[in-house]
Amino acid sequence: MKIFLTVTLVCAASAAQAQSTVAEADSVLARLIPTYGVSGGEAPVREVVKSLLPSWAKPETDTAGNLWLRVGSGGAPVVYVAHMDEIGFQVTAINPDGSLELDRTGGFFESLFEGMPALVHTPRGDIPGVFPPRDSLPRDPRELRHQPPVVRVDGDPNHSTLRVDVGTTTRAATEALGVTVGSTVTMPKSYQKLAGTRATGRSFDDRVGDASLILAVRHLDRAKLTHEVIFLWSTREETGLFGARAAARSLGTAPARVYAIDTFVSSDAPLDPKSFADQPLGQGPVVRALDNSSVTPPALVDSVLAIASARHIPIQVGTTNGGNDGSMFVPFGVPDVAMGWPLRYSHSPAEVIDLKDVAALANIVQATAEVW
Amino acid sequence: MRYRCAAVILSLAIPATLASQSLESLTLRFAGFTTVSGYEQAVTDSLLTLLPGATRDRLGDISITLGSGSPKRLVSCPLDEAGYVVGGVTSEGYLTLRREGRIASPLFEQQLEGHRVTVFGASGPVPGVVGVRSVHLTRGRVPNEAPFTVDDAYVDIGASSAADAAALGVRLLSPVALARRPHRYGDAMAAPAAGRHAACAALAAALLSHPKISGSMVVSFTVQGLQGGDPGLNAVIALKGPFADTLTATLPVKYRDTMAETVMMADIQALEQRLVQWMGGAK
Repeated sequence: MKIFLTVTLVCAASAAQAQSTVAEADSVLARLIPTYGVSGGEAPVREVVKSLLPSWAKPETDTAGNLWLRVGSGGAPVVYVAHMDEIGFQVTAINPDGSLELDRTGGFFESLFEGMPALVHTPRGDIPGVFPPRDSLPRDPRELRHQPPVVRVDGDPNHSTLRVDVGTTTRAATEALGVTVGSTVTMPKSYQKLAGTRATGRSFDDRVGDASLILAVRHLDRAKLTHEVIFLWSTREETGLFGARAAARSLGTAPARVYAIDTFVSSDAPLDPKSFADQPLGQGPVVRALDNSSVTPPALVDSVLAIASARHIPIQVGTTNGGNDGSMFVPFGVPDVAMGWPLRYSHSPAEVIDLKDVAALANIVQATAEVW
Repeated sequence: MRYRCAAVILSLAIPATLASQSLESLTLRFAGFTTVSGYEQAVTDSLLTLLPGATRDRLGDISITLGSGSPKRLVSCPLDEAGYVVGGVTSEGYLTLRREGRIASPLFEQQLEGHRVTVFGASGPVPGVVGVRSVHLTRGRVPNEAPFTVDDAYVDIGASSAADAAALGVRLLSPVALARRPHRYGDAMAAPAAGRHAACAALAAALLSHPKISGSMVVSFTVQGLQGGDPGLNAVIALKGPFADTLTATLPVKYRDTMAETVMMADIQALEQRLVQWMGGAK
C-alpha cells in the first residue's frame, strides 16, 4: 500500500510546474520582515500577507485573527499553517516616572534587548524609546549588569527584568503619546541580505513560513487540486498556539493532514551543540519529523521525500526543539506533517537563513498541495 | 583643468550644504559615523572634504586654525569609539574579533551577542551578525552563566569559507562595529558613542557658524582618544601648540557604552553655544 501510494505520488508530481525562485522569496521577505506583529498584534502582518496574495485569492479573517484562504474542492481538506506573530513584550504598567513595565511575549534571551533602541506599537503609530540597561534601574542589586537576566524578580514567569524609557518623565506624558497597558513593544528591525543567498533579520520565525505559503499560492495550479486546500496564517503561536487551536477546533476531524510550516531551528551555528538538528543552511527545507509537540508518521515523511525527489526539490529530514501549530490538530486525529527551513540564532535579532531554502520550501508546499 | 574646477566647486558647495543643516541633522549625521579607535580614516576623509582649509596630521587628527595672534587656544573633540577589528577567519568563514579602545562597561561586549554588525572591508561595508545560541536548543540560560564576551563572538557574514570572506574584502584588522541606527526619542537621541559624536557635531556646528575668534583658535577633531595616553590629542598639542588654554567638547550621557547611549538635544545645543562663546574669548 505504501509503495503504491508513493509511486502514484511520484507520477503525479513529475510534471514540471512554474516554481518559486530565490529572487521572489527575497522580494516577499523584504515586505514581511520590516512589519511588526507581536503575538496578539498581528494585524499589520495580516494586511501585508493579503497584499502579497494574487488577485484571485479572497482570504477571510476569523474571530481569532487567523487569515484563511480556501482553494479547490472535493475530498477531505488539507491544511497548511504558518504563524504571523513574533516575539516581543507587552506593556503591563506605566510607572510614575513615565517608564514602562513589561511582560515577555514568547521565549527569548532578554539580554538581547538590553541597552537597545525600542519601539512601542500603538494605534497612533510607533513610539520610539530605549531599553535602559538594568544598572540604571532601581532593581535587585544582585543582578549584575553584565549577567544575562535569568532572575525572576517577582515570581511571575513572564515578567520582564527590562523596562522601556520613551523619553518622558511622567505617567501623563507617556499616556499622551498614546501608550497604554497592553501596547506591544519590540526593537527596530530590517531585512538585510548577507553574502550569496544568505539573509538576516528578526522574525524570520515565522515570516519565512508566511512567505512560503504566499509563494506556493502564487504558483499553485488550481486545476490540479482534487480536494480543498486551506492556507492558514495563524495568530499567537509564540504564546501558546492559540490561533491554531481555534482553527483546529473549527475544522474538527475533517482535515486529512495538516502541514505546520515553521522554523527548523538548526544547530548549524558556531555556538550550538551538534547532537541533533545539524541540518545545514542552503541544503533545502527540512521535514521536521520530531519536535517537542509532535511526531510525523514515518510513512508521511517518506511521501514528502518522494514528492520532493520527483520535482527535484532539495530536502532534508531532521529533529529539533520547539512546538508547532500543527500539533493542535493532532488530538482530532489529523496527522501533523511539520516542515521548515534551517534557521540560525533563533528568536534573536540576528536570525540567519538561506533564501534557496525558502524558495525550495515554497516549492515543496506547492508540490504537496497539488499532488497529495 | 575642467576636472580641477569641478573639484573646487564641489569643495565649496559641500560646506554650504553642511552649514545649512540643522544641528539635529548634523548630530544624526555624526552619530551615523563608525569610528573604531585607530581606524577613523573614513570619517576624517569626509571631514577633510567638508571643512576647507582643514589639514590632517600623520596620526590622522583633523585640524583647522582660525584667527591669528595670541592667545593661541585649542578646542577639540575625540572622534573615536570603542569597537573591534577582525582577529581571525575560521575555515567555515566566521570572523573572530579583537576589541579596540577602552570601555567602561562590561555590557559593551554583551551587546555583540545576537546583533548586527558592519565589517569595513577593503571593498566596502559588509553586513554581518554575531552568533548567539538558539534559545530553542539551549532551553534557557544557565543560572550564573558567565557574561558574553568578545571571545565568544563569531561574526556570520554569510560566508561558508575563509576564501568566501576574503572575496568580500574582509581581512585581518578590518574594523567591525555594531550596525548603527541613530534613534531619536523624546527630546533625546540614542546611538553608540552618542556623547562623543554629538559633541563633535556641536563643535562642527560652532565652527560652521563662523564664530568671532579671540586671538587664534585651533579646532581639532582628534583620533585615538580611547588609546592609552590619548595620543591624538597629545599629537595636536605637540604639533600645533603650545596653547594658552584648551577645551575638550563633552556632553553628559545616559546609558553609556550601549546602543542606547543617550544625549539630550538641548544639551547639544547648549554645548554649541558654549563653544561659540569660548572661541570668542569667554571663560
